[in-house]
Amino acid sequence: MIEVIQISRGGSGGVTGAKILAEAAIMYEGLYAQAIPKYGSERRGAAVQAYVRFDNKPIRIHSPVYEANHALILDLSLLDRIDISTVDKDGVIIVNSKEIPESLKNSGRKVAYVDATGISQDLGLVLSGFTLVNMTMLGAFVKGTDIISIENLEKAIISFWGEKRAPKNVAAAKRAYEETKVVIA
Amino acid sequence: MVVKHSKKSMTGNDAAAFAALYAQPKVISAYPITPQTTIIEKLSQYVDEGKLDAEFIIVESEHSALAGCMGAAWSGVRTFTATSSQGLLYMAENVFWSGYGRLPIVMPVVNRCLAPGWSIYQDLQDSMAFRDAGWIQIYTKNNQEVFDTILQGFKISEDKNIALPYMPCLDGFVISHTTAQVALPTAEDSFNFVGEYSDPVIEVDTENPWIYGGLVDPEKFIKDRTDLMEAMERAKKKIVDMNKEFGEYFGRTHGNGLIEIYGDDVADLTIVSMGTIADEAQDAVDKLKEEGLSVNEMRVRTFRPFPEEDIVEFAKKNHKLLVIDRSVSFGHAGQLQIEIEAVLQRNKVDTSVEGRIMGLGGEDVPYTKIVAAAKEALRSKM
Repeated sequence: MIEVIQISRGGSGGVTGAKILAEAAIMYEGLYAQAIPKYGSERRGAAVQAYVRFDNKPIRIHSPVYEANHALILDLSLLDRIDISTVDKDGVIIVNSKEIPESLKNSGRKVAYVDATGISQDLGLVLSGFTLVNMTMLGAFVKGTDIISIENLEKAIISFWGEKRAPKNVAAAKRAYEETKVVIA
Repeated sequence: MVVKHSKKSMTGNDAAAFAALYAQPKVISAYPITPQTTIIEKLSQYVDEGKLDAEFIIVESEHSALAGCMGAAWSGVRTFTATSSQGLLYMAENVFWSGYGRLPIVMPVVNRCLAPGWSIYQDLQDSMAFRDAGWIQIYTKNNQEVFDTILQGFKISEDKNIALPYMPCLDGFVISHTTAQVALPTAEDSFNFVGEYSDPVIEVDTENPWIYGGLVDPEKFIKDRTDLMEAMERAKKKIVDMNKEFGEYFGRTHGNGLIEIYGDDVADLTIVSMGTIADEAQDAVDKLKEEGLSVNEMRVRTFRPFPEEDIVEFAKKNHKLLVIDRSVSFGHAGQLQIEIEAVLQRNKVDTSVEGRIMGLGGEDVPYTKIVAAAKEALRSKM
């Protein structure tokens, strides 16, 4: 089983992103998956966690992810909310950042980083003042890990948003996929 | 021949809404409450889009929501609603009325804590408070089972031999808002399975008016209650038969309908629980076995009627039960533990029982905690 912990700010689309990730795995990768939003303080701007699991057999666990394989951080200022030491040392920290975050430098951790905020703003993915970085960061997730192909992510995004609303979202994911740098920090 | 399914990714509440859509109720009467709301939101959308030909009654409270369903049931049409927590409490008078009145109604309860201590998270205190209300209660463990259990519910509830309202329970958020895979049959196949509600349990006939719910003498009253007790007994067999019939048609079953056994037939310790804790406990059983410990599991799927015979049969082969309750009967113990102890005592089974209350107020119950509880129970046996 592969487990992912995601942290985002309410309003940036994190819960929807987690759902699409699970959908891509279930519908197009032939995997079992689960997307669990952690409800409670899902106010705009507040830190919101979500968890995603992937497996090749039915998943019977329902509790939150405690020891993730990968961490997906949609907002750089929330990086310190995740205890990186609980994330598998061979896993990837996927982060919305123009450069390797200061706290991860020389950590020896595998880091996938991309300026998701910049890409989303370029594409006009802004709603009520919030930059929607969810689809962009899914592109980064797909690049940094080896679970879902970019083609299948694209299919899931189109299926979720519909032909009309999909293009910008697909473009965001694809551009992030191309621009994400995967390094050992 | 098993019907075709398509693989879908959806939340537990979406699965509930699909099951209701496919069963084509004629009346939905509902009021929103977290975490149930997205079920009736979806259904109101289906009605609005013309996908579902039903009367959607928008009411001012849960009490009226269920009253609407009761009226529909008396009119002899298929009816559906859903609720949670405080909403279920606000419905209370009509919950008992529809149970004791033998009205076929399907009403999922998306389990959520009761206030105070305001919380939107899951425990089973809400539906457990209605175990004596004359409703069939089934506790589901995942999104797939939610769909299947609701679909089965219409056929069970609307059977003239049963005529009981039906309450499928699903853990709030953990099932209701979690996205997971569901094998979805077609609308046509689903409806073919459920069938039209063509032979109503009860039906208002304006040519032949009657009074319902009037004053009765003790003799008639006791006859009604005895009928209700007997209907609950018959419902056990009906649930088992429905599970088989469903399996032949759709290719999957849920235990024997009443309980589900996981692991070896005999073990040093048996974990007993319901809902998602019971699903997670299966991973705990595997982990304990890897460590060389002898543990199996019994999931109680049907809580009303209480599957006395099945529980006793399995318990008497085993040595010790660890019963995990996600609710409490204050002044006594967890309801599942109380009832299991009662049926063991009544049947002179001396398998020991240890109870644990876990997961109140939405507390996480990961398999690691279940493993730890099982190890403690094994130690205290020595």
